Amino acid sequence: MPRRWVSHLIYLGVWLLLASVLGAAFGRPSWWLVGALAIWLGVTLRRLYALDRTLDGHRSLAIIATSGLWAELLARVQRYKDKARYRKKKYHRLLREVRESTGALHDAGVILNQQNEIQWFNAAANRLLGLEASRDNGQRIDNLVRHPAFAAYLRGDSDNVIFVPSPKDPSSRLSVQVIPYSRHQRLAIFRDVTQEYRLERTRRDFVANASHELRSPLTVFGGYLDAMLGDDGIATAWRGPLAEMRRQTDRMARIVEDLLELSRLESSDSHASRNLVDVAAMLKAIGAELSEAPQHPSLSFDLDENTALLGDETLLHSIFQNLINNAVRFTPEGGSVEVAWKKSSAGVDLAVRDTGIGIPDDLIPRVTERFFRVDPGRSRAAGGTGLGLAIVKHALQKHGATLSITSQLGKGSEFTCHFPVERVAARGGMRQVAVQ
Amino acid sequence: MRAMEVEDFGHHISRRFNEDLEHVRNSVLKMGGLVEEQLDRALQALSQADSELGLKVAHDDYKVNELEVAIDEECSKILATRSPAAIDLRLIVAVIKTITDLERIGDEAEKIGFLSARLATTDNAANNYRELRNLARHVTEMLHRTLDTFARLDAKEALAIVKSDEEVDQEYEAIYRQSITFMMEDPRSITRVMDLTWAARALERIGDHAKNICEYVIYMVHGKDVRHINVESIEARVVGKDVR
Repeated sequence: MPRRWVSHLIYLGVWLLLASVLGAAFGRPSWWLVGALAIWLGVTLRRLYALDRTLDGHRSLAIIATSGLWAELLARVQRYKDKARYRKKKYHRLLREVRESTGALHDAGVILNQQNEIQWFNAAANRLLGLEASRDNGQRIDNLVRHPAFAAYLRGDSDNVIFVPSPKDPSSRLSVQVIPYSRHQRLAIFRDVTQEYRLERTRRDFVANASHELRSPLTVFGGYLDAMLGDDGIATAWRGPLAEMRRQTDRMARIVEDLLELSRLESSDSHASRNLVDVAAMLKAIGAELSEAPQHPSLSFDLDENTALLGDETLLHSIFQNLINNAVRFTPEGGSVEVAWKKSSAGVDLAVRDTGIGIPDDLIPRVTERFFRVDPGRSRAAGGTGLGLAIVKHALQKHGATLSITSQLGKGSEFTCHFPVERVAARGGMRQVAVQ
Repeated sequence: MRAMEVEDFGHHISRRFNEDLEHVRNSVLKMGGLVEEQLDRALQALSQADSELGLKVAHDDYKVNELEVAIDEECSKILATRSPAAIDLRLIVAVIKTITDLERIGDEAEKIGFLSARLATTDNAANNYRELRNLARHVTEMLHRTLDTFARLDAKEALAIVKSDEEVDQEYEAIYRQSITFMMEDPRSITRVMDLTWAARALERIGDHAKNICEYVIYMVHGKDVRHINVESIEARVVGKDVR
């Protein structure tokens, strides 16, 4: 038992003892006792009342007892109250700071529940998305940001970033990322990327336009160079330079063509069409074409002839041609190139294996960059434009496919395209289509 | 024990019902998003003389149509199985009408897609959009605000949009007159200017359809039919109700 209680009970005992002594001295001891208890009860009630009022927030009543159990009780209550008030103030300040800092963010943050209903958002969400707390809390976000790409993104679980026009200003672009952070809530972050988007588009347009403008002069050069090379009146000393000019013009024309194709691939964000393509036949045709070239490595095919692909014929041709062509170019005479077209667990794979010079490990992630060359001198001599794998990457993306590369320096490389199962078709179906 | 079971069952039905209604509403907005994108891309095809994109827009109209059919069926199912009343019934009726208008807007976007593909082949294709730019911006914004209104069930905003349709009509009128002048001045331009006028006409129609949708929103919120009456009486009905 705490000491304050012991002393309190002693007080009570002394009080009652005093009453019974006085009762014994003056007679009617029971009345004396009842009177003493009544006074005790009255004081207790008075203090209970004071305690109750203190809890209600009336501070002045707290000084009802100066010592003993009651004083201590009241003091403790007061202490708890002060502490609570202090905590409340602290949390208020913290909350205000959090609000202020989220309000100062340039990116819009929106908290969504499982139904994609808006739970909370910061000030930037009002600026970028036009949300108003009074009317939009509880509204589903895809009802307000209605772009189909965003709805599809919300349904999916992917954690990459997509770009949608802002609902407030259709000419601007927002990047969106949705991050799940608890079982029931997700945070959607919208960032204004209009500037970057415009810049990127300007760059793309510039490349497309420049390539387009370069094409016609190149055709003229090529035509005249052909005519000069065919003219017997030209001095023999100029024959070599002219032939070299002709070769370089061809190379430049190829680069321009590739640049145009690349910018075409980049500028449309739609998926590739879904025409039935007989991949096995296409691969054989490409192989036959390459076999005509002098001194090529041996080409072998392992093709599943019954599996066809739903895709864009031109793009697929471009992918396969680039991959096989690369393998042949970087494989010395006497080496071999194997092309495999096989069903896999996740769809269908095209693998091109060579016994060529290989790629250093640290450079593998960079080979699909435009104009990136592992060995600049060598690849230029081999007649590449430096854009082949960039085209392959973009064309594969249009088909929802991915490219994986494994390589060992000096031993060879393997390029594998993984096509998803929804692009796979049976070749039997193709005949039916052809008949119809 | 038995009573509790029944109650629980009833609660379950009504929750499913709520979900069904909510789903229909969300589907309409999804369709709206698709239609908005179609219109956006059609106008982009027009402004950038991108015939490929124009034809793609025309081709993609089937997606809008498919959604219309799906939502329609969903509504019939709700009507048949739940026999909704009051606001629920008004929601279903408004949805059935709204999707018709949305589908028409999709058709107009398809039309603009076709026209832009054709216009892209004319000599000064880059100029095509200039005449229409203001109208296009106005109508795009109007459609966007309309769908926002539908999402937020904001009758006041709906009324404001109904009013703004007049401006769209005036802008169309101006383009129409201008086109006639062009054609009289230079008969060689008739084909191009006619196509542009058709595109403007399509935009004006989209404005009308958006206005219709706003009227359904007012109907849904207030239960008052505000079609075919002038703006002032609509205002009296809507605002009168709001003041109460």
